[in-house]
Amino acid sequence: MVLDNKQKIIISPVDGCGLNYLEMISAGIEGVFGYQTAVNSFLDDFNFAFDEKREQYNSTLIINKIDALSDSQGFKIIALTEVDLFIPILTHVYGEAQLGGKACIVSLSRLSEDLGIDSRDQQLGERIVKEVYHELGHTFGLLHCKDRSCLMHYCRTIKDVDRKSHALCRYCKILLEDNKARSK
Amino acid sequence: MTRILIVDDELIMRESLGGWLERDGHEIEKAESGEKALDIIADRHFDILLVDIKMEGMSGLDLLKQIRETDPDTAVIMITAYGSISTSIEAMKNGASDYLLKPFDPNELGILIEKIIQNRAQELENLYLKDQYKEQIRFESMIGQSQPMQGIFELIGDIAPMESTVILTGETGTGKGLAAKAIHTNSPRCEGPFMGINCGAIPEHLMESELFGYQKGAFTDAKENKKGKLELANGGTLFLDEIGEISMRMQIDLLRVLEDKVFYRVGGTQPIDADFRVIAATNRDIAKSIKEGTFREDLYYRLNVITMKMPPLRERKEDIPLLVEQFLFRFSQETNKTVKKVDREAMDEMMLYEWPGNIRELENAIERAVVVSKGEKLLLQDLPIFDPQRVEHIKKYSLKDVEKDHIQSVLLENDWNVSKSAKVLEIDRSTLYHKIKSYDLSKEE
Repeated sequence: MVLDNKQKIIISPVDGCGLNYLEMISAGIEGVFGYQTAVNSFLDDFNFAFDEKREQYNSTLIINKIDALSDSQGFKIIALTEVDLFIPILTHVYGEAQLGGKACIVSLSRLSEDLGIDSRDQQLGERIVKEVYHELGHTFGLLHCKDRSCLMHYCRTIKDVDRKSHALCRYCKILLEDNKARSK
Repeated sequence: MTRILIVDDELIMRESLGGWLERDGHEIEKAESGEKALDIIADRHFDILLVDIKMEGMSGLDLLKQIRETDPDTAVIMITAYGSISTSIEAMKNGASDYLLKPFDPNELGILIEKIIQNRAQELENLYLKDQYKEQIRFESMIGQSQPMQGIFELIGDIAPMESTVILTGETGTGKGLAAKAIHTNSPRCEGPFMGINCGAIPEHLMESELFGYQKGAFTDAKENKKGKLELANGGTLFLDEIGEISMRMQIDLLRVLEDKVFYRVGGTQPIDADFRVIAATNRDIAKSIKEGTFREDLYYRLNVITMKMPPLRERKEDIPLLVEQFLFRFSQETNKTVKKVDREAMDEMMLYEWPGNIRELENAIERAVVVSKGEKLLLQDLPIFDPQRVEHIKKYSLKDVEKDHIQSVLLENDWNVSKSAKVLEIDRSTLYHKIKSYDLSKEE
């Protein structure tokens, strides 16, 4: 059966960001969230969200714009970017999501820290995948989880990201199914 | 769930910080000024306040000073822009827990909040242990000749021989715990243990090991194997009091036990058979909790095979003389007094009173009256709630004194059961815990 994009999770790379990892990202999304994926770039650049003083991009402005632009397309949208993101009160964020909403974003900017010499690509890919699933989890209404191995665990450091798994813990799996059933 | 109030006059700051903390699983409220914050705090308790120092109108520092006077235990984290560190130091001198420089690293905030939550959990744990001890030594019995109670006795007789789970509903103090025990005593499981756990009184971080037990080495403090309530209830009845207060995670675990009929100790790999009957009790409107998404519908239907509603005392007032007689006899013996009768005026007043705290309130009123009674007859003025001097006394005291005294008397009336007292006072348990601590109240007073 061919699904239209309304029933899919749309991966939205900005300026070709993360193209090398698209296959890796989409492969797991269906397993974790039960939705197929499509690729569609809604925005070419994020200049409108640039803060000159901080030399960073306001992630809240970006996800709100993506949400507005996507209109009826896509069930959830995850944007990927190379730029460094912030929300006004914090120095930086790895990503941001509309809790129980539609749009989220992940920045690759700080995920490249402390990569191993031999397996840079693989390691970076895994970090991106984990953060993408984490932010998507928020759009499904999931909150941060205490379980350090769960995808929804909030990582303080890049080491914490490496330590957590690619899967939701059993509690978050059940809560995800509950939230999906409730939103139907 | 930690309750956090963000006080900042900049909308963008309130929104961005609020969103971040919400995704972290906290319950957030926002205030655009110090004045608004004080209004909000008057109605409900917060665990943490995040306060911007520089605001239009009341400054963050002035707000901090006011909060410290009324609620010294709420953690206050000051938020400040670079360049106003001296003000932050002044804030620390005035009792702020810490301060953060805007914009701050999310890790810094996360660590600060975690530290505050851990301290709070420790305080709750201490209070829980005290509460548990009191519950263990409490004497209990179930009496009543009224029609509603005769109906209850009949129902207990009908449902006791069955294996079905039961949900007991009814206001606080109506004797749901006694009814659960009566069902157990009259059931084929009566030779087995009756194992009760108050889901509302136990801190969330202790709940898992209390229910499931743990294997040695499962976590740092697990020095020995420990059996949980599920295991200790083997062959008997498990009574889950205040089931409506149980966390989402525990609901998932409990449902699994009820469905699979097996469970595991924390850190254990050996399945243990769940051989117990479950009786749950609540004074919450569970249907409302299901609608709000705080109670699982599947767990509710699994538990709710039979429902029994305990009548409030005001609907069975004809039982009051009998209950009074029983309490009078018990407390006279316990206190070595010779109070044998109740003055007619005192009894009339007790029959007129609505008893919002139900039997527990009556029991505590009699206990207190026996203690202060001078003769063989219990008089109207011996009953603390009917003391005509009370209003005059209150006039001499400050608002704080009156609040302290009122909280102390409600706690006493409810046998120091914090959950039940909080319900009578119409405040949250966490608020009550903080008030107990801030007023330095203890059972000995």
